[in-house]
Formats: sequence, structure tokens, C-alpha cells
Amino acid sequence: MNLQIQHIAKEFHNGTKALADVDFSVSQGEFVSVIGPSGAGKTTLFRILNGMMDCTRGQVLLDDKRFHSLKGRKKRELQKSIATIYQDFCLVENSTCLKNVLTAGLPDMGFFQGVFGLYGKSRKKEALKLLDRVGLLEKADEPVKNLSGGQKQRVAIARALMRHPAILLADEPVASLDPVTGRQILGLLKSIHEADGVTILMNSHNLDFSKEFSERLIGLKNGEVVFDGKAADLTDSITRQIYNKKDTMPENKRGVAYE
Amino acid sequence: MNDNKTSKYSFVIQFAVPVSFLILFFLAANFTGCDLVTFWKRRSHLTDLVVDMIPPDFSYIQKILLPLFYTIQMSVTGTVLGTFFALVLSPFGAANLEFPAVMRRILRIVIQILRSFPALILALTATFLFGLGTFAGTFAITLYTFAIMTKLTYEDASAAGKKAYQALRAMGTSKYTAYIHGILPEIIPGFLTNALYLLETNVRHSSILGYVGAGGIGLLLNEKISWLEYDKVGAILLMLFLTVCVIEYFSRYLAALIRKERMIKKEQARLLLLFLAALFLICTFTLSPPDFSRTSPQTLRNMFAGFLHPDWSFFFSAKKDGLGYLLLETVCIAFIGTVIGAIVSAPLAFLNTKRFVPAPVSVFFNLVIMAIRSVPFLVYGLVFIRISGPGAFTGVLTLAVCSIGLLTKRFTEALDALDLRPYHALLAMGGRPLPAICHSVLPQLKPVFTSIILYRFDVNIREASVLGLVGAGGIGAPLIFSMNQYAWEKAGAIMLGLILLVWVIDMVSEKTGAGN
Repeated sequence: MNLQIQHIAKEFHNGTKALADVDFSVSQGEFVSVIGPSGAGKTTLFRILNGMMDCTRGQVLLDDKRFHSLKGRKKRELQKSIATIYQDFCLVENSTCLKNVLTAGLPDMGFFQGVFGLYGKSRKKEALKLLDRVGLLEKADEPVKNLSGGQKQRVAIARALMRHPAILLADEPVASLDPVTGRQILGLLKSIHEADGVTILMNSHNLDFSKEFSERLIGLKNGEVVFDGKAADLTDSITRQIYNKKDTMPENKRGVAYE
Repeated sequence: MNDNKTSKYSFVIQFAVPVSFLILFFLAANFTGCDLVTFWKRRSHLTDLVVDMIPPDFSYIQKILLPLFYTIQMSVTGTVLGTFFALVLSPFGAANLEFPAVMRRILRIVIQILRSFPALILALTATFLFGLGTFAGTFAITLYTFAIMTKLTYEDASAAGKKAYQALRAMGTSKYTAYIHGILPEIIPGFLTNALYLLETNVRHSSILGYVGAGGIGLLLNEKISWLEYDKVGAILLMLFLTVCVIEYFSRYLAALIRKERMIKKEQARLLLLFLAALFLICTFTLSPPDFSRTSPQTLRNMFAGFLHPDWSFFFSAKKDGLGYLLLETVCIAFIGTVIGAIVSAPLAFLNTKRFVPAPVSVFFNLVIMAIRSVPFLVYGLVFIRISGPGAFTGVLTLAVCSIGLLTKRFTEALDALDLRPYHALLAMGGRPLPAICHSVLPQLKPVFTSIILYRFDVNIREASVLGLVGAGGIGAPLIFSMNQYAWEKAGAIMLGLILLVWVIDMVSEKTGAGN
């Protein structure tokens, strides 16, 4: 699936401009990193891409199908092909790993099956297989709250894979993990990318990780794209320009973007 | 300079709040006719009723068993059904779950109205719809449980983390399903614990529903008290105590299972679930069907017409038998009752927990408090009425004793959940125990105790309207009389007044609760 982001902008009700003009496209099978300082609009961009927020201008096309400004069932239909993993995992802490992975089956199920959690044998089998793939099979019946951060992110990855996503959005996937665990998680993502050919769009604070694991970097600054190219083409002067503290938005704007 | 200002401000606060509280307390005490001298003079009457009950008439017990079963039946079925409806509907009341705001408002208004009335008044209303018998009682308990559980649950759901829910939504899951799988697992332990609490409360509530003809053991209790057969009353109270004990220990066991503090094997869990399901089914399917023979469309029409056109002259009357005066009296009764209850409960709570006293002492006080809780509060009303006569003071005493049960229980839980590490840290630095307690334990307890007391005050305002049954002052007697006399305009005015009162108190306690 090709993702086209055409000149999107986002303005919040309080007048804060999170995105000014973002325009790029991602084709099937790419591993793209979005980099940029705090407040550049990375998280806002990702929330627009997974349909949890609407852009104020511009459009998002998924294989030429309109993705933005949809409501209800139509929006959910398109959201089904996009999976997201988050900085803070967003798992149901009290439920077991297996149940968390299984929740990814819900969008395809009818209302009553969904409410009562009747996932069926084949889904359970697949969920266990995915837990095995991320190396957590023996923790399947363990509540998520007993796991370490890295293990939680593995469960979140298994949940995302359960959706067979066309695009996997990774919103700061390793920001709350220590560097060693973070590297392992990114390695896992990379291996999944190579084995399944899934498109990955990652958003990261850590420039070194982004350079090392992704094929293409997109630099975002003040809500605009200022760099788009291979990791090798990212010179020091461009990096400095992207992360130039002077022009960044104040820190608190980031909090607004999370709302 | 700035520091000076704040310290001055806090100085004023430090003194103004307790002083105004004391002034309020004495004004209210005066208003409700609290008279400690008479109380002390007539203290011998406290015990003579109890002496009459001992020994209880054991041969009478077999006659109690069936009504006792009806009582349990009403509480079990009512609690389960009410909890179930609360589970299904509460997400619509939660904030930030994207459900339409209209739905949320309607649900919240319905809950607010239902919550303004104690189970007894709901049961009295239900008897006009479904006739006398356990069906009306069950209906009332169901509504009562539904109102409380829905409020607690949507508050929990609003406070719970939304991240997992949003992650599910981002995958394209519908709102309701995302709620069930994203938020419910996080709040279900608290939900079930609350339901167990309510089951226990409901047993006590349903034991007096018989007074208004809604079935159960209350009918017998009423009869035996008015025939002065106190040995039989003693037998009834004994059985109620045993029932409350059994339910209390059983629900504690279940609560420990829910919190995963106690583990059982899978087969045992299955047996337990089977037992609970069987209990519910037996209780529900032996329920007597509603009796519509006495329900006439005319009565219903009059009832709704009365509710829609309340007696405004009574509503706005400033006289001594006007609504304003009665409501003020109710608030004062609840206020003084809560304060006295809290003063007695705080030390009791320390004696009730194994953390501060040896195990036998805590078990003893445990039983004492359970005994206090198991007696329906109308019995207390009858005891106190012999001391202080009909009037607000009796209401104060009754509510104070009734508050002790729940307040002590909640206080004890707060003590059990207390983090003692700061205390030990102060001791380790060489501090004396008492100052260490003042600076490490009390700051932790203050907000918890305050919110518990505020909650109990809220409950007491609503429960105070039942005191009217024994003529213990407040709004209850006029309400029950006017309903029994089919004076629906007056009943409507009183109900409206109660709804407004509870609403105002809720707002105030929310504001002060947030300030803590």
C-alpha cells in the first residue's frame, strides 16, 4: 500500500499550529524514520495517520483512497489496515499477554462476539504464534503489568502484527526503554520489516537509531518537512539545522499535541 | 515578602476552618435538640430493651427462616441485576469515551434522581406499581444498586487510563468493544469489590423493606416490635447477625480472590462460579411474581400527576412544617450524626486492624462492629426513642450509631493500605514514635479519612429520610405519610426537595473533595 500525505496542516482549537505543511509519500515496503526536535509535530502527524485525529487542511491518501475526515464505520474500515505501536505501549495492564494480542482481532469481529471476546481457535493459535515470534510464548498467561518495558513493547508488536498491517506506525517505540533493550526492539522491527515486507513509519528522538535502522529519513521542523532522503545524505549541517534549538516551538506545545 | 503573605493566609485558614466548623456543629446540635443531660439521665433505658431480648426465643427461629430467605433473595437478585445493568450502561456515562453527550447527560440525571432516595422509599414507590411482596423489594434493590454502581463505575472509567482504549480505537475497533476490552479489565477488580460491598449493604437494607410491605423479614420485625415480643425480636436480630457474618466473611474471601491475594485451583474456581450462578438462579426463579391486582391505572395516573405538579405552597413554605425547615433539619441530623460517628470510629478503626493491635483484640472488635452493623437501624431508632423521645435528637443518635459500622470498616481499610515506610524512616533517624506518627501517618490519612467522611455524610443525608419510619425527625415521616395517604402533590414536592438537596450536597462535597 502506498501512503500519500499531501500538504496537511493541523491547527488546534486553542490556535496552536502543530503542523504547517507536511507533504511526502511512502511506498510499499519502505522503512522510514521521521526525525525532529520536540514540538516539531511528529506525534501529531502519527495521530493523523492512525486516524485518531483529523487534519485541518490537506489530505491523506491510502492507495488513492481518502483517509482523512472520515467518520464512524468508513474510518474504522481504513484504520484496520494500519497498526500502531506506542512509546508507552498502550496495553491493557490487567489482561494477560495473550488477551492483549487477541484484542487486535476485535475490529474484524461482530458486535456480540467482540463484546464477549469470542475470538475462536484460529485467532488464538495465531496470537500464540506471534507471541512465539517476539519471544514471549512462555509469558502468554502472565498479566502485562508484571512485564518489563521491553517485554511490553514486544507484546505491543505482536498485537500490531496480528492485524497484518499494510503500514506499521511506530510512535517513539524505544523512547521509554534503555538503549540495549531499545536496540533489541528496533532489531525485531527491522527483522519483521525484512521478512514480511511490511511498511514501517517510525518516529524517533534517537537520531543514531534512526540512521542505523531505517533506509530513509524525513526531518520535521516547526511542522514542515525540511529534509527527505537517505540516511547517508544527512550531513552534520542539516542535522544542526533540524535540531537548532532557536527556532523550535516551546516545550509545552508538545503536551497539547498529545491531548 | 511573598512567604509572609502565604503564611498569614494559611494561619487564617488553619484557624478559620476549625472554628467555623465548631460553630456550625454547635448551631446544628442546638437545632436538632441534642440534649446530653437528658441522655445521661435516661441512660438506663439504653439497656432495658436489650435485656428484654435476652434470651432470644430460639423456638421461633424456624419461623424466621423463610422470611430470612426472602430477604437474602431480594438482596442477591437485586444486587446481581443492578450490577449487571450498571456494567452494561456505565460506559455511556463516562467522560472522554466519545459517546454522545446527550446520552451521558440523560444517564447522569437518571442516576442522580435515583440516588436521592434510600432503598426503602424506592420500595414504597414500587409497592404501588407491583403490589406488596418481594418483587417490589427486589425491584427497589435493583434500582438502588444500579444507581450506585453506575455512578461508581463511570467515575472509575473516566479516571482509568485511556491509552489502551485509544490504541484499540486506532486499529478500527468500535467504541463499545474497545471499552469492554481496553478499559473494563483495568477497573473490573474495583467494580467487583464494590458490588460485594453493596451486596452486604443490601442485606441490611432489605431487612427493613418489610416495613412498607415489600417482603422479607422486616414484616416480622415490625410485627414483633409492635406486639412487644422482644424475645422474638432478639431471635430475629440474632439470625440477621449470623447472616451478615456469613456474607461478610464470604465477600471478604471473594474480594481476596479478586485482588489475587489468595489463589485457588482452576477446578475450585469453576465450582465456586457454579455455586454463585446456582445461588443467583435459585434466588431469582423463586421470586414471587408481581401482584398487579391492587394496581389501578387511576392510582398511577394520580401518582404521576402528583409528581408532575408538586405542592408549591408546601415547597416554598418557610414555616416549621414547611419543606425548607424539614430539609434543614435533615441536613443537621446527618451532619451531627456523621461527626459523632466519625469521632467514635477513628479510634475503633485502630483497634480493628491487625497492624496496630494483637490479633485477638482485632478479631473481637471485628465482631463487635459487625454486630453493630447487622442490626437494622430502625431497631436503634426504637432504642433511642425511649431515651430522647420522638424528634431530631433520636435521629442524630441513630445515624451516629449506624455510621460507626461503615466508617470503621472504611477507616480500617485505609489503615491497612497505609504505607508505613515513611514512619519507619523517621524512627530510623531517631525520632520519637508519637511525633513520627503525626508527621508520617496522619498526613497520609487525612485526605482518605476526609473523603470517607464526606461520602458517609452524603449517604446519611439520604438515609436520614428513612428515620421518619420511627418518628425520629427530618423529612422522612412527612414523605412516608404523604405516600401512604396518596397525597402525591406533597410527596412530589418532598421528593423534588430531596433531589435538589442531594444534588447541592454532591456539588459541595465534590468541590471540597477536589480541594484535598
